[in-house]
Amino acid sequence: MSRLRRDPRMERAAHRIAGTPRPRFDLAAASAATSAATSAAPGRLRRDPRGEERLALVPGTPRRRLDRTQRVALAPAGAVPAAAMAETAPRLVVIAEPAYLVAVVPDAPGGRLTPHDRQVIGAARLLADAGGGAVLALVEMPGEDLAAAGVDRVLGLPVAGYDPEAKAALLHAVLDGLDIRHALLPESADGADLARRLAALTGEALFAGAESLTAKAITRAAQGRRIEQRRAPPRLITLAADASAPHGGAPHEAIPVVFALPTLAPGAILSAEFVPADPASVGLDEADFVVSAGNGVHDFTAFRALVAALNATPGASRMVCDAGLMPRAAQVGASGTVLDARCYFALGIAGAPQHLQGVARCEHVVAVNTDLHAAMIERAGLAIVADAQKVMPALIDALTGAGAAEAQP
Amino acid sequence: MKIAILFSAGRHAASGRPAPVPVELQAIRLARELIGQAAGDAAGDAAGDLSGDAPGVITGFHAGPDAGPLKDALGHGLSRLVQLSIGAQDDPLPSLAAALGAERFDLVLAGRSGQGGEDAGLLPYALARALGLPIVADACALAAGPQPGTLSLEQALPRGARRRLILRLPALITVHPAAPAPLPFAFAAMRRGMLETREGVPAPRAAGEVEERAYRARPKLIAKSAAGASATERLKAATEAASSGGRLLVDPSPEDAAREILAHLRQIGVLRH
Ligand SMILES: Cc1cc2nc3c(=O)[nH]c(=O)nc-3n(C[C@H](O)[C@H](O)[C@H](O)COP(=O)(O)OP(=O)(O)OC[C@H]3O[C@@H](n4cnc5c(N)ncnc54)[C@H](O)[C@@H]3O)c2cc1C
Ligand SMILES: Nc1ncnc2c1ncn2[C@@H]1O[C@H](COP(=O)(O)O)[C@@H](O)[C@H]1O
Repeated sequence: MSRLRRDPRMERAAHRIAGTPRPRFDLAAASAATSAATSAAPGRLRRDPRGEERLALVPGTPRRRLDRTQRVALAPAGAVPAAAMAETAPRLVVIAEPAYLVAVVPDAPGGRLTPHDRQVIGAARLLADAGGGAVLALVEMPGEDLAAAGVDRVLGLPVAGYDPEAKAALLHAVLDGLDIRHALLPESADGADLARRLAALTGEALFAGAESLTAKAITRAAQGRRIEQRRAPPRLITLAADASAPHGGAPHEAIPVVFALPTLAPGAILSAEFVPADPASVGLDEADFVVSAGNGVHDFTAFRALVAALNATPGASRMVCDAGLMPRAAQVGASGTVLDARCYFALGIAGAPQHLQGVARCEHVVAVNTDLHAAMIERAGLAIVADAQKVMPALIDALTGAGAAEAQP
Repeated sequence: MKIAILFSAGRHAASGRPAPVPVELQAIRLARELIGQAAGDAAGDAAGDLSGDAPGVITGFHAGPDAGPLKDALGHGLSRLVQLSIGAQDDPLPSLAAALGAERFDLVLAGRSGQGGEDAGLLPYALARALGLPIVADACALAAGPQPGTLSLEQALPRGARRRLILRLPALITVHPAAPAPLPFAFAAMRRGMLETREGVPAPRAAGEVEERAYRARPKLIAKSAAGASATERLKAATEAASSGGRLLVDPSPEDAAREILAHLRQIGVLRH
């Protein structure tokens, strides 16, 4: 690797005798000129393909495997990793004196941000960073993931149960009391409802379902998606899903702020009860938790029992559907269903790109596979290298055992 | 029970021709079944006899220059449609507020959002505020409540979940597309239905600062990788969402594996027992 790459053409050109009509070369004479030419033009270093391959070799596998992404430490590890380390070390971004506030009202069911919430916070960061503002999150239950998502200030909204009217009234008070230039909500079921209540309360225009957003202009579809409306960002905005990228930079401080919220009279809703979806009947695209079987699953009775015990929706890879072991409607992936689930549990699935496209939006992935180097194992948040046929009965036992233990006392 | 349903001038999703908005036709079915339930007979029967002495009346309201294709709503089981005549560019809110305020309705149903106009779904909220009614969004099933003067409704949430609410009437409710499909169209019912035209309240809209142009579909941002990244990296960005660190267990015993998996599932909250 240390030797320079030779350039025979250049070397030959250095031997050329000038001033003759036909090209003539005196190879014996000018060795000094050659060395001068090579030292003046350093050229590229010679590659050492064998050495590179040795580095990429994954140790400890019976079959020869190469890992070209070079997670195995590379030899010329000079100043570059040090710089990268400094880059990735979590620096907290502090905005001490914000010029204005951009309010975000994430849905955050159970205090956990949804991917859509993160996108809305990303959009709010965009609007705040354009003029030295800060992002204020208004949440029912402050969670710990707000700082990483890019939130500077947090204000709790004490709302008991499902009472959107009260929540809208509290938001109205906050919008009146603080210097809020924009308020962003997700165009999701609850966020859309809240934003429209707020618009009706304040009498302001709502820019509903924005599909692209910059600090200067914002667009939405109207008239049955025939017309695009465009304007400078107004105060009230709801953002469609996948319209803005989530915040990817350093975490922000997410410090709580104090604000005197008014107390409210109860509304017209007398009672509210959440009815979870029946996983057996809900469609794969709507399912929340999908357990999926691939070519590595041979025992489908155990698989069905496991799906029922986990209270999940069954899915499958294309290999399994092609073999007729699961219905075609259960196929996950590019030519099947693209999931919107929160959690995906893959049993014996290799993780072909066509399959992974179907789970791109899943937040959590759990994989069981016998192959340590399967793409699914790399994608998973919890990866288990084991035989699916052995893990499935153990899971069913643990689940029914837990159920029986709960039933006894 | 007196029920009002709001109809907007819609356009067909594929052809763009004037047509009723499907979710507003679904509202007719919800209203008929609610009244049918109160009368103690099956919804199918209620769909048969239209304007007889039913225990409730359903009135449709539309504010706009003409009823046009909304006559189809009469064929889908509506018995009476009132058109409030206003200009094409006028704001329908004052006309609807005046008409609904003059008669007392127990229940006002509207679509979740229009299709062919502004499509923001704001009108029901503004109207509820003008009439002083509570509003609940995204109903997909209605039933009489446990006490008189209350209504029990199911609200459609994403991922097939529902929220069951009990609500004091009068109220304004918007209907979600997950509600049962509209009643089948019957030509004779459309001929029999009553169409009434009244003067609306002219309310010219102030010109906004909105610029309009032909719609251009934008690619959805699923995941973005740095510009100039290699094809492998771009494929990775398209197939991998933000994966959460990643814990790897190599060859655990099946019991250990099961315990780890269940603990992880409980921690992320998908397993509730
Ligand atoms: C145009 C096109 C579209 C496609 N669309 C889709 C699609 O929509 N959806 C889709 O799924 N596929 C799709 N495919 C197919 C895809 O490329 C793969 O062939 C398929 O996903 C592989 O399925 P698999 O992982 O179940 O099987 P395999 O690739 O055979 O993988 C089986 C995995 O199981 C593991 N395994 C084996 N035994 C065990 C055991 N006892 N315990 C645990 N693990 C074990 C193996 O290590 C391996 O990783 C498409 C292909 C094309 C060309
Ligand atoms: N001109 C109108 N006349 C009567 N109802 C309307 C009118 N415009 C909208 N609505 C109702 O309000 C709902 C939401 O409409 P929009 O706010 O335009 O998206 C519609 O589904 C209708 O039920």
